[in-house]
Amino acid sequence: MAFPALLPLTAPFAEDERASLDRVLGGANAVQRAWLAGFLAGVDASAGQVAQPAAPPRAAEPLTILFASESGNAERLAQDAAKLARKNGFKPTVIDFADLDVASLGQAKRLIVVASTWGEGEPPGRATKAYNALMGDGAPRLDGVSFGVLALGDTAYAEFCAVGRKLDERLVALGATRAVPRVECDLDFEAPAATWLQGAVEALQPPREAASGNVVAVNFATRTAGEPGRDPVAAEVIEHVNLNSSRSDKETIHLALGFDGAVPPYEPGDALDLYPENDPALVETVLAAARLTSEDDLRRTLTTARDITTLSLKTIESYAAVTHHAGVRSLVVDGGARAWSEGRQLVDLLEAFPASLTADQLRDLTRPLPPRAYSIASSRKEVGDEAHLLVAAVRYESHGRARYGVASTHVADRLRAGASVKARLKANRHFRLPDAAADIIMVGPGTGVAPFRAFVQERRAVGATGRSWLFFGDRRYTHDFLYQLEWQDALKDGSLSRLDLAFSRDAPEKTYVQHRLFERRREVVDWLEGGARFYVCGDAKAMAKDVRAALIDAFADVKALEPEAAEAAVAKLEAEKRYLQDVY
Amino acid sequence: MTKPLARNEIIKEASGHLRGTLAEGLTVAETGAIAEDDQQLVKFHGMYLQDDRDLRPERTRKRLEKAYSFMIRLRIPGGVCTPEQWLKLDRIARDYANGTLRLTTRQTFQFHGVIKSNLKTVMKAIDAALLDTLAACGDVNRNVLAASNPHRSGAHKAAYDLAAAISDHLLPRTSAYREIWLDGEKVAGGEEEVEPVYGRTYLPRKFKAVVAVPPDNDVDVFAQDLGFVAVLDERGELQGWNVTVGGGMGMTHGEPDTYPRTADVMAFCRPEDALKVAEAVVTVQRDWGDRTNRKHARLKYTIEDRGLSPFRAEVERRIGKALADPKPVAFDSNGDRYGWVEGEDGKGHLTLFIENGRLQDVPGGPQLLTGLRRIAEVHKGEFRATANQNVIVANVASEDRAAIDALVAAHGLTSHAGALRRNAMACVALPTCGLALAESERYLPSLVTALEERLAAHGLAEDEITIRMTGCPNGCARPYIAEIGLVGKGPERYNLYLGGGFDGSRLSKLYAEDLGPHAIVATLDPLFAAYSRERVPGERFSTFLIRTGRVAATANGADFHARTGPLGPALDPAA
Ligand code: SRM
Ligand SMILES: Cc1cc2nc3c(=O)[nH]c(=O)nc-3n(C[C@H](O)[C@H](O)[C@H](O)COP(=O)(O)OP(=O)(O)OC[C@H]3O[C@@H](n4cnc5c(N)ncnc54)[C@H](O)[C@@H]3O)c2cc1C
Ligand SMILES: Cc1cc2nc3c(=O)[nH]c(=O)nc-3n(C[C@H](O)[C@H](O)[C@H](O)COP(=O)(O)O)c2cc1C
Ligand code: SF4
Repeated sequence: MAFPALLPLTAPFAEDERASLDRVLGGANAVQRAWLAGFLAGVDASAGQVAQPAAPPRAAEPLTILFASESGNAERLAQDAAKLARKNGFKPTVIDFADLDVASLGQAKRLIVVASTWGEGEPPGRATKAYNALMGDGAPRLDGVSFGVLALGDTAYAEFCAVGRKLDERLVALGATRAVPRVECDLDFEAPAATWLQGAVEALQPPREAASGNVVAVNFATRTAGEPGRDPVAAEVIEHVNLNSSRSDKETIHLALGFDGAVPPYEPGDALDLYPENDPALVETVLAAARLTSEDDLRRTLTTARDITTLSLKTIESYAAVTHHAGVRSLVVDGGARAWSEGRQLVDLLEAFPASLTADQLRDLTRPLPPRAYSIASSRKEVGDEAHLLVAAVRYESHGRARYGVASTHVADRLRAGASVKARLKANRHFRLPDAAADIIMVGPGTGVAPFRAFVQERRAVGATGRSWLFFGDRRYTHDFLYQLEWQDALKDGSLSRLDLAFSRDAPEKTYVQHRLFERRREVVDWLEGGARFYVCGDAKAMAKDVRAALIDAFADVKALEPEAAEAAVAKLEAEKRYLQDVY
Repeated sequence: MTKPLARNEIIKEASGHLRGTLAEGLTVAETGAIAEDDQQLVKFHGMYLQDDRDLRPERTRKRLEKAYSFMIRLRIPGGVCTPEQWLKLDRIARDYANGTLRLTTRQTFQFHGVIKSNLKTVMKAIDAALLDTLAACGDVNRNVLAASNPHRSGAHKAAYDLAAAISDHLLPRTSAYREIWLDGEKVAGGEEEVEPVYGRTYLPRKFKAVVAVPPDNDVDVFAQDLGFVAVLDERGELQGWNVTVGGGMGMTHGEPDTYPRTADVMAFCRPEDALKVAEAVVTVQRDWGDRTNRKHARLKYTIEDRGLSPFRAEVERRIGKALADPKPVAFDSNGDRYGWVEGEDGKGHLTLFIENGRLQDVPGGPQLLTGLRRIAEVHKGEFRATANQNVIVANVASEDRAAIDALVAAHGLTSHAGALRRNAMACVALPTCGLALAESERYLPSLVTALEERLAAHGLAEDEITIRMTGCPNGCARPYIAEIGLVGKGPERYNLYLGGGFDGSRLSKLYAEDLGPHAIVATLDPLFAAYSRERVPGERFSTFLIRTGRVAATANGADFHARTGPLGPALDPAA
């Protein structure tokens, strides 16, 4: 939006400089302007120049920013909140739920909570312990705490933003005052989250006069450098190969992306957000269903920018509203909509309850097409300007229709060497390698092995002395042994010390990684007691839980522990951040 | 100067009685293969490391090693197994192999596609079926065949008993097999073991023995290193055995000093001497055989080099008695007798035609594997694998025949196929055989269809002609003693051999080289035409070709490579 010009034409700036300053200052609030004044004064002061007498500095108000995050979105927003708070004269402290001492929460007078929801309405893995404590009977009273909750989620899930909602209610129940109403953000959270944070910070402002000083003291140490790799960049597909044999019923694409010069500064453990396009055939079916086949602009928009597969409750409701279609409305009214949407997509809605729509109506039924995250399977130390991904094609059938995962089949079916695709770094500082001397155990069946390929490449490059042990599994040894030849080399050159395999369809009785883990329990416990780190990546629904259970059994058996004690042993590893997960 | 020993001799010597590093190799997870030397040793245990050659082109790009798996061959003397054993093998095939059971040209079964991680499980399951794979391959005496058409019950029992006795007597004594595959007790070092017959380095090369009962030559006695041919009196009582030595098929393209050879009939021995004779023949070959050149190490070359009578003399010396000269016997065919035959004891025996021995359930086609499973579930007698890759449901009481016939019909199993197909055999070749130069098992069926069409056109639809194809010159389907032999030279390229005896007693002769599918038919068609025009009553296709001077007769291995190609009357394609 545009603001009235603030600087007089006489200001000692060039035309375009004045425009830029107007754009910033015009939008700034009183507090920001005061801060800026102090800032500039400070700059000159530190440059040893004569400064105008600055007003006496006022002590900044403390503000606690608490986040529950799995893949980093909530965490990033918490950092943004901290910056914004600082600008507004707060002294922010950012706390990860993982490190939260619930008992001490009462001392926080002002509180911002940013929480995402995972699994089927569950808190992010690391947050679980503190979350349960807060929800449980032992939770402290929070009278006198004023707060606001920013919830992150995905309308594709039934339990949309469940965790944020529950926290919001719980804090009130514990006596805290809601200073600002909660917002629930879908995957396109950037804009709404930014607006909410602005409002929240304002709402949590201390009484006006406190901030009335016209100059705010600025601690230069807190200037944070702009985060690199935040914006999507174009990448070229350098290699595209299905690693499964032609006899396999699976399809896992090794995708090498080239960034000539502009490779995101990723670390082993990070992921890339990939910006997919929709299947042109599906776009046509959708357009046809809405009788809009002649709309070329819409066709382009739907193909590249809108989510035309997810069928959320929200979508069904707005469809009922715009079409007044009796069928849909009864669905919405008698609450059958959620059940009906199970396994269905937008196209099913359009075809089941035909109505002609305008281009805008159809577009507004959809949300922006969200990117998909893929663990990076390479180390820059080995591949330089490239980033490798390992993408499993998602294909299934539901309600008599063949369904194709948007991003994974865009990669599998439509991306080829030479093609270009947009990607953005999705850092994960909670899934990092330890120092080169420490041992690591990596459990990564299927595509879960991706970050471990990066780990092994990195450790080879830095000549790590710690041992590396990989547990890999898939369906069939001969046809699904992802990166087999590379693991053989890694074992030869020592960058991988041990490899244990579990293929589930080679014999009548299925073997999975958790079984191998238990078979090797003595050495596993031995490594862990020697300080090894334990990494799990891949399927969240079953694998990650089974692996954790297997490790508990391992401790119980090897150390002759009661189940509770064994559980505690694993919980301790988690607390020490030696049991790390990247699951999806 | 003496030539250096062949590499395999060093491997055997160093192996500690066939152990090598097999046990360790099984625990290496990242590869489906085993160490190079162990690949030679594992054969003695009945296994071959193979890879799916169809998949080779794509593997490296996909960061996958070759699609390794193991072929496992059982040792089943005389090819006789019980229904219970059949059911267990069928299970293994479906659970751990490629879903097929493969009947071989030597009366046993092979599993294909067993991956390393399943090897021990399968070996234990085989052991649980009271069967083994020891010495099914390798430089030892292999599975011993016995005439399988059991209509002469008495003689066939004797033949089977001798085959079983020879197989057991010549079995390696090393405990490596139990140790490695069945988690048996480790024999300290293994070194103290003794191999009474073989010694530390076993034989120079593979060794194959059979027992035949005339007039059937279904075991192709003339293709074997050692053969015992039943000599019966007019009442059908066994008098003793003619002993044959020095047969073999293997040769190498373009190496004339390698050649197939039909065995010599060396002598006659009394039933009680048979086992001693067998051992003596084996030990003479152990000591006389060429251990410097594996392409010249089979008994057939030992006999060519040393001469038959010195060899017989040495055998007689070792058994401590002279042997009588062979008695006259006659064979009429090396094929199987399809359908029901009745034994002297009144029991019925049903010989089923299994194309190329591949027992599988063809989608939308015959359910061979399932069909035989169903039969095994009700069958009270035994099964007999034949040396022509077929199977006999043996010893069926007359009241049980109807039930078996019903199952045969229900699953598309059959004893009736076209006359040429009934007499056709193809080796395995691609995709599993590492030595294949061309397709065989996967190609012969369609070629036979094309040829049967030509035969029908010349009114020969019902004439029995033997045709055998192999994917390379090693001769696993014994193509050089078939009337029509096709031997792979390269993709879609075969050498055509003609003139082999219908009774398996005469080698064939190279007739044309490098024929593609069309050329094969085009070359044979005029010969079929001439045969139907000019043959004398009862004359076999091969004898016709020789009588009319189109093909030279091969007297013996030595002249196998002489006077090749079409001879005599120029062929006129118009005919
Ligand atoms: C399965 C079978 C063919 C079939 O379609 O049934 C077969 C299959 C193979 N034969 Fe054979 N041979 C088979 C009967 C024969 C016969 C026929 C016979 O013995 O009556 C011969 C010709 C007779 C002879 O030994 O001279 C035969 C002569 C060979 C040779 C050549 C030997 C030679 O002296 O030159 C080789 C290659 C070698 O030994 O170096 C060979 C090697 C092989 C191998 C193991 C290839 C290899 O060495 O890597 C083949 C495995 C293919 C696969 O994927 O299964 N096979 N092989 C037969 C199994 C018999 C059994 O149950 O033991
Ligand atoms: C941090 C992180 C790292 C990841 N790393 C990787 C990686 O390295 N490799 C990788 O392949 N993926 C990875 N993923 C998963 C990836 O982001 C995508 O979720 C996945 O590729 C599917 O996306 P899509 O657009 O192809 O499918 P979508 O169009 O998003 O469809 C997926 C949806 O389809 C439905 N569905 C899927 N299968 C079935 C079925 N059988 N029956 C019924 N419904 C079904 C489910 O609702 C599912 O949510 C990661 C995810 C996260 C969060
Ligand atoms: C495996 C998985 C499960 C999820 N489950 C839910 C859910 O049940 N409800 C919901 O609203 N969002 C769900 N989401 C969406 C996340 O909450 C959303 O991506 C959020 O932006 C993640 O924030 P974070 O990076 O801070 O963890 C899920 C996402 C993934 C990958
Ligand atoms: S004949 Fe050659 S191709 Fe055929 S199975 Fe024997 S070795 Fe293999």
